[in-house]
Parts: sequence; C-alpha cells; structure tokens
Amino acid sequence: MTRLVSHLQSSVGRKVVMALTGLGLVTYVILHMVGNLQVFEGPHALNSYAAFLRDMPILLWTARIGLLCIVALHIVFAIQLSLQNHRARPIGYAIHRYRQASFASRTMAMSGMVLLLFIVFHLLHLTAGVIGSPNSDRIDAEGYRDVYGKMIHAFQNPLVVALYLVGQLGLGLHLSHAVSSSIQTLGLEHAALDRLFKAAGPAVGLLVVLGNIAIILAVFLGIVHV
Amino acid sequence: MNFTVRIWRQKGPNERGGLVTYEAHDVNPGMSFLEMLDGVNQRLLGNGEEPVAFEQDCREGICGSCSLVIDGIPHGPDRGITTCQLYMRRFPDGATITIEPWRAKAFPIIKDLVVDRSALDRVMQAGGYISVNTGGAVDGNVLLIGKDQAETAMDAASCIGCGACVAACKNASATLFVAAKVSHLAVLPQGKPERTRRVSAMLEAMDREGFGSCGNQYECEAVCPKSISVRFIANLNREYLRAGIVESGIPSEPESPHAETT
Ligand code: HEM
Ligand code: SF4
Ligand code: FES
Repeated sequence: MTRLVSHLQSSVGRKVVMALTGLGLVTYVILHMVGNLQVFEGPHALNSYAAFLRDMPILLWTARIGLLCIVALHIVFAIQLSLQNHRARPIGYAIHRYRQASFASRTMAMSGMVLLLFIVFHLLHLTAGVIGSPNSDRIDAEGYRDVYGKMIHAFQNPLVVALYLVGQLGLGLHLSHAVSSSIQTLGLEHAALDRLFKAAGPAVGLLVVLGNIAIILAVFLGIVHV
Repeated sequence: MNFTVRIWRQKGPNERGGLVTYEAHDVNPGMSFLEMLDGVNQRLLGNGEEPVAFEQDCREGICGSCSLVIDGIPHGPDRGITTCQLYMRRFPDGATITIEPWRAKAFPIIKDLVVDRSALDRVMQAGGYISVNTGGAVDGNVLLIGKDQAETAMDAASCIGCGACVAACKNASATLFVAAKVSHLAVLPQGKPERTRRVSAMLEAMDREGFGSCGNQYECEAVCPKSISVRFIANLNREYLRAGIVESGIPSEPESPHAETT
C-alpha cells in the first residue's frame, strides 16, 4: 500500500476525510439556507430560483451525486471511527465526570443520527414529495413549479413543523462542534486565531439554524403566506 | 479527617473486579492522596488482608507512575497535578471517594488499580527517538536553537507519559500523548532526520495498540498533569498530513516497528 492510501485509513486520516466531507456539507447547508431565505422575497424570487437550479440538469445531478458520495463517505467513516472508539474502552467507569468536553462534542454520533433521519425525511417530504404535500407539483402564475406554495403548505402542519425543528436542533448541535473540530483536525491553529476557531462552530451552527427556523416559523405563524 | 473510600479491587488480569468500601481514619489534611491509601493498606495488612495495589514511584509529580481515577476524574479534582501531588485537605471531611483504575482496552488491568501501560512504550519504540552520531560529545552550544522553538519543544517534552489523557478521553485515545512526543522532536533540528516517518509510525502504532481516535473534545488537556496543550494535536495532524504528501507513493511501513531486521 502506498503512503497516501494507508494514511487515509488510519484514525487521523479518517478524521481528515470526515473533516473535508463535513466542511463540504457545511458549505452546502449554508448555501441551502441562503437560497431558501428567498421565501421572504415572495413567490417570484423563490420559484424562479428553483427553476434556475432545475434548468441545469447536468449541474443539478452532478451536485446531487456529489453530495450523496460526500454524505456516504462521511457516514461510513463516522461508523468506522465510532466502532473503533467504542472498542477502545470495553469496560467503563463507575463514575466519569467531564471537565471541559462540550455536550455537543460528546453527542456527535447521536446528533449525526438525528441529522441522517431528518435528511431522509426531508428528501422524501419536500424533494421527492412522497410524504405529505398533495399539491406538490402545482404551477404558479408565471408558469414555474410552485415551490413557494409547496413550502407554505408544508409548514402549516404543526407535526411537520415539530419534526423540522427537531432536525434543526440536531443540525445546530452537530455543527456547533463540527466546524471548530474540523479546523483542528486539518491542523490549523495559531495563538492569535484560536478564539476565532473555537467560536466558528457555534457561530456557524447558530447562523444556519436561525436562518432555517426563521423560514419555518414565518410560514407557520402566517407572517409569510400565499 | 475521616473518609469512606470505594476502591476497585481485582485479583488479576482475567478476574472479575468490583468496588469495595473501606474506611480511612485519622487522615492528616497535609497527607497526599497516596499517603491516605498507605494508611488504608496499613490497616488491611494489620487485619491480615491483601493490601490495595496501586502504582507509584517518585511521589513528586515527575515519573508518571501514579494513575488513579478519583471521583470520575484522572488525577483527581485539581488541575495540572498528578495523584501524588493531590492533598487530602482538598476533600471535605467525611467525604466518600471513589477510586478506579485507568480504563482502556490498551491498558489492561494487572491488579486492583495497576494497569499495564506498556502500549505507550511500544508507541515510543515505533518512532519516539532520534539518531545520534557516536564519538566525541558535541559542544552544547554548537547547534543554535531559537528561544521560542526551545520553549515549544520543552512544553511538549514535559509529558510524563502517565496516560491520564487516555483515561479521560471518551474514546480512550492516546492522541495528546503522541502529539506531545511528535511535536517535541519535530520542532528541534535533532528530530528532523526521522521527522516524516516518525509521525506515521507512531500514529500507526497507536491504532495498532487499540486506542481510539481523537474527537477534539479536549478532555485530555483538562486532566493532563503537565497541562499539555491540544494545540500540539493540531500540530500532530499537520505533521501527519505533511508526511502523507511528502511520502505519497512510497510503500508504507511494515506492520511491526522492528520488522526491518526480520
Ligand atoms: C448536514 C449534514 C452534516 C454535516 C454538515 C456534517 C459535518 C461534520 C463535520 C464538519 C464534522 C467534523 C469532523 C472533524 O471533527 O474533524 C463532523 C463530524 C462527525 N459527523 Fe457529521 N455532518 C453531517 C452529517 C452527519 C451524519 C448524517 C452523521 C451520521 C450518521 C454524522 C456523523 C458524524 C460523527 C459521528 C462525527 C464525529 C467524528 C469524530 O469526531 O470522530 N454527520 N460532521
Ligand atoms: S499528555 Fe499529559 S496526560 Fe497524557 S501522558 Fe503526557 S503527561 Fe500524561
Ligand atoms: S508517583 Fe511519580 S508522578 Fe506520581
């Protein structure tokens, strides 16, 4: 085996892959939120944006398949590392107190799992339209697919809103550790920047979650409507 | 002062163990934690019972032998000290104190509170050394080393190999230990010849010994008696990435660190 290949299979190498794939997903999650915030600009903005994305099928499918591969890598390595970590302490402590490990850092596997379930639900719900929304493929006044209407319809259901809020909780928790952690995994540190790196995770997590929740609640509370 | 201590007792590596409760009477507040245990053992011996086995040597925080998880924290409630530097005045009179061994697959229990930490030695053997020329000793000041480099190397070199980082880590990872050793040698000119293969060999040895991976939770730094900074872990990751690139395409090291002789 060559160095590079064997490096990627060690525990640090796997973490590096997780950090790179994770940061890829973070970038996507941010763009996704920013794109959806156009709901506040009304049906025209959102629907034409959606149509703009769908008008480039090659790019769209490249992005989709790319994301799928990234998620798959991230999850496969997450499982491998979790198993390795689990095996490393077969007998636990009667008492174990943490001094500074954050709650988010200790529950990455849990928040990741919540995220995975949420992502599957979200894809079936709003992307594929298999769950809920009977009026999924309506056309708006300008002849675009009515994504705006679909969103308004979806978030009027309190159960759907509750599930999405749980998903956002998982996302916020995961990101609040993940972003700072991946900076460390990639070997970046500097006395002057350490505080910034530490704050990056919670800041990015909060930003994304607040943006997403704003959309969900604005629709649910009737601030944004048809 | 009087204490109730719950101590992990286990006759041998493959025996079943359990927490046993003992009383520690007439403890002087100025006694160290290990002296308190000496008292408990004295009474056990007096009653013809088997004393509690625990590891210790220097009793001044430099050898890294003492290794107790006290009320759920390796080396006890104070920061930046070893178990032998912990004083009984730190605990409220009448307290119940739970004492457990380091817990990790790579640290099998030998007896009671004593664990086998030779896994860390094998990680060192894999790469924690430098090459020196034999012959006349070189004058100390021939090789100039910058002040900040020397300071950084010294910060890392203060690791005493106690394994508290492993004991505290949720994943029983030895990353802080490896980071300290790799960083110590990587910043000094004497460590440069093996710089690239050292980091790979030591991390591979760490995986081989059954330690977990680093989750960047930084519990290690909080319990380290020498307050080794997790910034060295970032440095370790950087060294490893560098080695992966510098050596890419070169066949990886054989399984055993000593396989080149076989
Ligand atoms: C939107 C989706 C996701 C994003 C943006 C994301 C991002 C990240 C990032 C940046 C890291 C940090 C890597 C490091 O510490 O260097 C990470 C770690 C982790 N992720 Fe994710 N992730 C996502 C989904 C998931 C899913 C679906 C799972 C599990 C099924 C998962 C499980 C984990 C685990 C267990 C870790 C910790 C690995 C470790 O510290 O050893 N993640 N994630
Ligand atoms: S890094 Fe600290 S806790 Fe870990 S072995 Fe060295 S001295 Fe002990
Ligand atoms: S006995 Fe040597 S460090 Fe505690």
